[in-house]
Amino acid sequence: MKATAGNQYLTLVRQGLRAEFVDKERLISPVLFALTMLVLFAFALGDLDQSLRIRIYLAETLLTAIFALQISFSRLFEPDRQDRVFDLLRTYPISYTALFLAKYTLVLILGSATLVPTMLFGAFLHQSATIQLFSWTVLGISLLALAGLGALGVLLSALTLKAQARQILYPLLYFPMTTPVLLAAVQSARLCLEVGLGSPELKSWLGLLAAFDTIYITLGVLLFTELMVES
Amino acid sequence: MLTSEDKREFVIGSFVQLLIILHWLMAFFYAPVDVNQGPVYRIMFLHVPSAITAFGSSLGLCVFSVLALRDRSERLMAWSKGTAEVGLIFTLLTLATGSIWGRPTWGTWWTWDARLTTTFLLALLYAGYLLLYGSMAPGTGRTRVCAVLGILIFADVPVIYKSVTWWRTLHQPPSMIREGGSTMDPEILWTLVAGILVMCIYAAWLVRVRGRNIMLADEIESASYATLSAP
Amino acid sequence: MLVISNLSFKFRHRRLFHDLSLTSGPGDLWHISGPNGVGKSTFLSVVAGLLNPSSGAIELTWEQKSVDDRRSHLEYLPAEANGLYLKMDAVQNLKFWSELRGLRLDDGAIFGALEPWGLNHPLLRDGFPTEKYSTGMKRRLALARLDLSPTPGWLLDEPLYGLDQQALTVFRERLRNHLSRGGFALLVSHDLEPFRDLITGSMDIAKKGGV
Repeated sequence: MKATAGNQYLTLVRQGLRAEFVDKERLISPVLFALTMLVLFAFALGDLDQSLRIRIYLAETLLTAIFALQISFSRLFEPDRQDRVFDLLRTYPISYTALFLAKYTLVLILGSATLVPTMLFGAFLHQSATIQLFSWTVLGISLLALAGLGALGVLLSALTLKAQARQILYPLLYFPMTTPVLLAAVQSARLCLEVGLGSPELKSWLGLLAAFDTIYITLGVLLFTELMVES
Repeated sequence: MLTSEDKREFVIGSFVQLLIILHWLMAFFYAPVDVNQGPVYRIMFLHVPSAITAFGSSLGLCVFSVLALRDRSERLMAWSKGTAEVGLIFTLLTLATGSIWGRPTWGTWWTWDARLTTTFLLALLYAGYLLLYGSMAPGTGRTRVCAVLGILIFADVPVIYKSVTWWRTLHQPPSMIREGGSTMDPEILWTLVAGILVMCIYAAWLVRVRGRNIMLADEIESASYATLSAP
Repeated sequence: MLVISNLSFKFRHRRLFHDLSLTSGPGDLWHISGPNGVGKSTFLSVVAGLLNPSSGAIELTWEQKSVDDRRSHLEYLPAEANGLYLKMDAVQNLKFWSELRGLRLDDGAIFGALEPWGLNHPLLRDGFPTEKYSTGMKRRLALARLDLSPTPGWLLDEPLYGLDQQALTVFRERLRNHLSRGGFALLVSHDLEPFRDLITGSMDIAKKGGV
């Protein structure tokens, strides 16, 4: 009288996606927020010196993406909070690992939907004839960062589910903890654009990024189950 | 009306205070004057022990959190909360002393030194922990959530530190703390070691006092409920 | 068969219920009674697995085998909430919950479940978010979910909340059906009239031991 963990995972992912499409505001507002911020940055900074463009581009787009993502992360469990859905879910024989992975998958899908347009639009705004800002590697790096940020995002979202001061609490915990991932991502991306793919330092930073991702995903799975289980 | 327990606590507290006074005397009179920095260097005797205690508190927090998850007891949550409060106080003290030390020495109120940056982020995390603790009603829910956060914070501190250190080595700023036993006068070293010991004892005592306060408050609250409920 | 032994629950040092025991086998309908605020909903929450008791045990055996996770054999109906995704329609809600139980139901089966509750109208079931339902309609949808659930045990907390006379009659029939097929249920309800002839046992939460 219960589905396999794999099927539960798929059901939960489908339901999560449905929740996004059914309430379009959830899907669109992070992207709109990000794009608006980029336009504002462009106005504020004006025409930039060539030497600075790469750093400004990276700082802006990654920052904007992180803020936009933070908004959607903190609202991850909102559809489940209505009408005691989350309580009912816990009375069903679901695997909490499946639940974590389902939410994580949603975060990766929806996060990419915010991240990719942001990186592309930012590159578009700041490009010049001499500087190529679009790079598949940089896009890959930012998706790698998303992998780590997402795991932390899901865990913190579950952590602050019942807390009163969620609006303040979530960013307060989120930003310090995501610093390692952000630093590694910014450094790798900068080296990639300024020095090129052959840079030996790039490899170390990418290695670090991958290591952080692994740590956060593992911690996420383990601690999430602890959070949910009344043993 | 003092009980014997009160008297015992008073004796312990006085002893701890005495240790601190002795250490301050040591710092001012036993340790020699530094040729380069002048008398201001003595703030190191406050700064370094504070930093060690601040980070040591995260270990304490983790230990109490793991035990609390296993035993689900409210008592351990009282100890955890006390540890987080003490941790917050010492991180703020570290930041303040670091800033005061930095100004006459290097001319700036703040520098993105790896250790200070990590301390700052740790302060945010302690604040977040306390905010979370305060925003949830007592019970197994809060125990689970705060214990998980306690573990997460401890696990994250070395990750944050490593990433910031890597980031800083690229920029090579002056280090806040000059290390190396060979360049340090033995008197300075001893004063420093003594300071670390005294500060740790002080912190442990604070945690003990605070933990017992919180448990007392819990007891009073439960007694007020006892008048309402039927036997 | 559900066996509850010496169940106690404390909330912030205040004891809500103490040393409760009951055994529920096929066909049993247990009435959980007690004055308001005494802990009847909490009791059902503990049995459902939402809360941990401070002491005592709950064991479930089915078809002579001990069940690891009793949630797979129990369906919980909360009081004053229905566990519905309010921005989704009736069909999406029912499909989701039944899928988690391992059921792959086609539209026909879903429509069949909605029919007795008067929710099978195309305008009501497709693309009509459940947040637009009335209180009674939402409750009826939750009861339709109960119908679809393959579990032998029902934990019912004020199931009649918001229901009109017709829906009440339908629910009585479904409950009778469920019990005669070998299912069992624990019931909290301030209105006992519809269930008088179905109740097989009663437990008073406020009394120690339930007697």
